[in-house]
Amino acid sequence: MTFFLQYVMRRTFQNMMGNLFPNLITIGIIVISMLIFSTFTLLAFNLTNFLKTWEDKIEVIAYLKRGTPSSEVEPLLKKTRVLEGVELVRYISPYDAMTFMETKLGRQKNLLEGIQPAVLPPSFEIQLKKEYRNSTKIKEVVTQLRRMTQFEDIQYGQEWVETFSILVHILRLTQWILGGLLLIAIVFITSNTLQLTISSRREEIEVMHWVGASPGFVRVPFYVEGLIQGLFGGGLAILFLFLLHQGLFLYIPPSMQAWLERIPVVFLPLETIVWILLGGMVLGFFGSFVASMRVLRYK
Amino acid sequence: MDETMIEMDHVFKTYPSQISALSDINLEVLSGEFVFLAGPSGSGKSTLLRVLSCAERPTSGEVVVHGIHITQPGFKKIYQLRRDMGIVSQDFKLLRDRTVNENVAFALEVTGSTRKEAKNKASEMLRRTGLEEREEDPILALSAGEQQRVAIARALVHSPSLILADEPTGNLDARMTLDVMGIFTDLHQKGTTIVFATQFTGLVKRYSYRVIQILNGHLLDGKKVDNGKVREVKTEE
Repeated sequence: MTFFLQYVMRRTFQNMMGNLFPNLITIGIIVISMLIFSTFTLLAFNLTNFLKTWEDKIEVIAYLKRGTPSSEVEPLLKKTRVLEGVELVRYISPYDAMTFMETKLGRQKNLLEGIQPAVLPPSFEIQLKKEYRNSTKIKEVVTQLRRMTQFEDIQYGQEWVETFSILVHILRLTQWILGGLLLIAIVFITSNTLQLTISSRREEIEVMHWVGASPGFVRVPFYVEGLIQGLFGGGLAILFLFLLHQGLFLYIPPSMQAWLERIPVVFLPLETIVWILLGGMVLGFFGSFVASMRVLRYK
Repeated sequence: MDETMIEMDHVFKTYPSQISALSDINLEVLSGEFVFLAGPSGSGKSTLLRVLSCAERPTSGEVVVHGIHITQPGFKKIYQLRRDMGIVSQDFKLLRDRTVNENVAFALEVTGSTRKEAKNKASEMLRRTGLEEREEDPILALSAGEQQRVAIARALVHSPSLILADEPTGNLDARMTLDVMGIFTDLHQKGTTIVFATQFTGLVKRYSYRVIQILNGHLLDGKKVDNGKVREVKTEE
């Protein structure tokens, strides 16, 4: 076994060095393809993270009808608290709303001069359980709230949540469609380079067939070559993506940096990196397998 | 009773272009026999050897080599058959970027021997073929005769019991031909079965081995075509 591995590594090295230029071109193309795929993965990963963070902060505001007697507030609070998906409910009186607005306006709070708190509707600030903080589940809670006649309006930033969810879905879809096309291209390119390698080793392979080399001895070095091309391609793509990710923070204006601090753009987790490297290797292997099926038949 | 090394039973080979390369071949070669397969260029010699080495499948008929039914559907272990077979061709098929020893050792390395073991066995075989002093030379520095001897050494290094030689002296001058024939005769005397395809009748006549003539894909075993008539070939033991 050790001998076989030594033989395979030696032959693979000889094959790669003997066809260095086509090998470098193949690795280069794999790098570009994997870099595009990894970039989409990174974008989708960060946007999903951002969406999750945002969803954590999602809450529903249910505005009570003006003139709702204060005696009805407490029973309504109790009724709302027991709804499925509701974690916490806080009553915001018109006075609380006015104080909140003044705080928000800061030095421009004089804009509110002359406005009576009574014009602001009382409301319930409803925090949802974690599993309900997404665009699908939130609607279930909102439907239950809408059935309560004491509420005039219910807001939960649905447009933002839905738009953002669609954006993430589109990104993920693009990632897989584009990724799929690039992956097919990788298989095609690896397969063709290996056909070049095999072609340049034609005489050697013919002699191997003549003297009775087993199919493993003939084919495995080419499979390993494909694996190495995929590994190098995937590894370099990850490295370039990492450098791009780091460089992003060096060249963005300070004002945006402050904004980005609140939305951390993190790099891909180790698990995803391993998957990308494995994916590269599998594609390289598959490319060499296709090539060997086409031209390495025993004859 | 002598053991049969090769048996061909009603073997036909027709190419898709309807060219018939072999037609109703019936042949038996015994273990340890030296057989000349003689015929002009294009008569079917190479096709017959290619069928015996599994490089081509016959259109119909049965072929048994060393007890293995190689024409049976599903026969896949060609490499196992080839390990007991030495193939020598007119164009040598040597690896130009390697030395003489590396060319011979290559046959062993790719069939599971260690590098050291392969190198030693290759040296021994090159000594037997009279090339011990050229071992480390690049293959292109050798004459055609020497290159053919390297090809023979490579075919023999794994001690096959059957040698299929397709015009191995085709590119050699008279002196080199005798040189190479000496190696084959020596091998035959040691018990190796040899099927030697050639188009040179002069060469066939020099030796007293069995001659099988092939013409347009038909075997004329023990006979020859002379002025359009089939005649017996006299062999001297």
